[in-house]
Amino acid sequence: MSFFHSHVAPMDANLSPALAQFVTGHLSIHVAAGCGDGLATLVRGLGARIDPADSHYLRVLVSRSQSTGLLAAVAGGYPVAAVFNEPESHRTVQLKAPAAEVVAANEDDRALLGPYVRAMADRLRTFDTPEPYVHTLLACAPDDLAVIRFTPRDVFGQTPGPRAGAPIAADGPAP
Amino acid sequence: MSLLSMDRLRNCLEGIVPAGIATCDPDGMPNVTYISQLMYVDDVHIALSFQFFNKTRENILANPVATVLMMDPDTAARYRLRIRYLRTETSGPLFERMKAKLAGIASHTGMVGVFRLRGADIYRVLDIESVPGRTLPSAPLTPAALPALRRSADALATCNSIDALVDTLQSALERHFGIEHQSLLMADCAAERLCVIASRGYANSGAGAEIAFGDGIVGVAAREGTPIRLMFPAVEYAYSRAVRDRIAPEDGLPEPGEEIPLPGLAAPASQLAVPLLATGRCLGVLYVESRQLCRFNYDLEDALVTLCAQFSLALRALQAEPGDDTSVTAPPPGAVPDGRPLRVRHFARDNSVFFDDTYLIKGVAGAILKRLLEIHVDSGRTEFSNRELRLDPCLRLPDICDNLDTRLILLTRRLIDRSDDVRLEKTGRGRFRLQLNRPIQLEHG
Repeated sequence: MSFFHSHVAPMDANLSPALAQFVTGHLSIHVAAGCGDGLATLVRGLGARIDPADSHYLRVLVSRSQSTGLLAAVAGGYPVAAVFNEPESHRTVQLKAPAAEVVAANEDDRALLGPYVRAMADRLRTFDTPEPYVHTLLACAPDDLAVIRFTPRDVFGQTPGPRAGAPIAADGPAP
Repeated sequence: MSLLSMDRLRNCLEGIVPAGIATCDPDGMPNVTYISQLMYVDDVHIALSFQFFNKTRENILANPVATVLMMDPDTAARYRLRIRYLRTETSGPLFERMKAKLAGIASHTGMVGVFRLRGADIYRVLDIESVPGRTLPSAPLTPAALPALRRSADALATCNSIDALVDTLQSALERHFGIEHQSLLMADCAAERLCVIASRGYANSGAGAEIAFGDGIVGVAAREGTPIRLMFPAVEYAYSRAVRDRIAPEDGLPEPGEEIPLPGLAAPASQLAVPLLATGRCLGVLYVESRQLCRFNYDLEDALVTLCAQFSLALRALQAEPGDDTSVTAPPPGAVPDGRPLRVRHFARDNSVFFDDTYLIKGVAGAILKRLLEIHVDSGRTEFSNRELRLDPCLRLPDICDNLDTRLILLTRRLIDRSDDVRLEKTGRGRFRLQLNRPIQLEHG
């Protein structure tokens, strides 16, 4: 393997490299799950990465204490949706999957928290959001971290505008 | 009653930190997206901006329950709301408030031209859940609204003239609320126009500047009879850019409406317009602005709405019972000043008055000035009473009684702004003196 290739992270999760790179690029994230009663619950995501153990999966980090309902719904086999938004450009995609699983966070997941919060603080500086605010909003104790793991089935462009919500090809470019 | 209520959490709905919304289609598949705008309606209702026919809307029409995750913009506290869709409003006060607010949010987030409000979707709040997590201490940067309101209300209650009422309102906004830039406009409901009578915080008072109902933040507040508040700059609501009707220059005269620029900051970051409502009428608008983002919150809006209600009732009461001081006997006419005469031209068409070809004022204030100068030229008198103007058959303007006091305030301030030669000076309750530095040569155009 060449030096160059050894530094390119493998991308997958049923997404084109561009889309996979986009959703794992430290964006603003919200995760929702159906609850079986016509209602959905939602929580802020705290980072996302391709699962290195099985690159078909996307791992989305959440705070366990903030996600009781969501984790129960996921464990109950209900479908999930996650939206990824780049605040400064408004580029947004939504991924949906008929099912997901809750897995334990590992050291690499926990190592993602710091860089994620710092990147979000940088992004939100565009809107004069104070850095302490971002660090507070996205704070999560390492032992409170949980991971939702799923393979996206559908991808939707969600950038604000009349075309928001239209399906986009999973093997296509980022929005 | 739960301590968690929209009354207490309405700061989360300011649009400073975007909220998320999750809905479900009839098959149970969730959809999650960001919300451009949430708006507080009352303790158990909120409104969401409807801009596009998207999946959220499709889901809501089929299954009207949704979950919102919102964040406190100061403390970062998170709340999950369970809400049920009720109806969509496409016009009226709530719609206009939302449209203005959306314009501010679009401007703040670089979405001008993308965000356009189709409707205000009204939802009932079914449940509020506090989501655990770290928070910041709350550190308010503005004066507490209730004590400021009480001190201001106490001050207004002592006023026994309209002059004092206007001055006291403006001083109270400065002293108790820390508001540096403000204008008070009175409405001419028949003409659907507003006229600045007093302002603070600007190089010129702008007294006499006009704006039509429906134009800009002030005009929309008057037309809809509802406060309009912007937390972020919005070009389409910039006060100074409001479009004004023009009088066609049939005779090559200057266009009076263009002569007096509206007082205002070139680029306000926060704006609030509060209609002066009493006895079912809009008497005018109080407008305040700031260079600081997010300067005027819901609490301040509530306080100013309440203060303006008291101001409006007091204004109506003082207009109904002028209580002029009639015990003072007019002194004999003073000496007529020497020097080059001031050429004053009056045009009956719109009661516009020009000093040496420079536009001064028009409308009711113009008619009053012309009448005062006319009496002075005929008799040499310089002392006048509000009462005689009210009864003067030459001033047969339909709403002169309602407008006389406020128009005298406007005229007094306009003269200070624009002329060194003519002044109106208060000499007692309902009495004033015309002060002239030059003789008057009155012409009719």
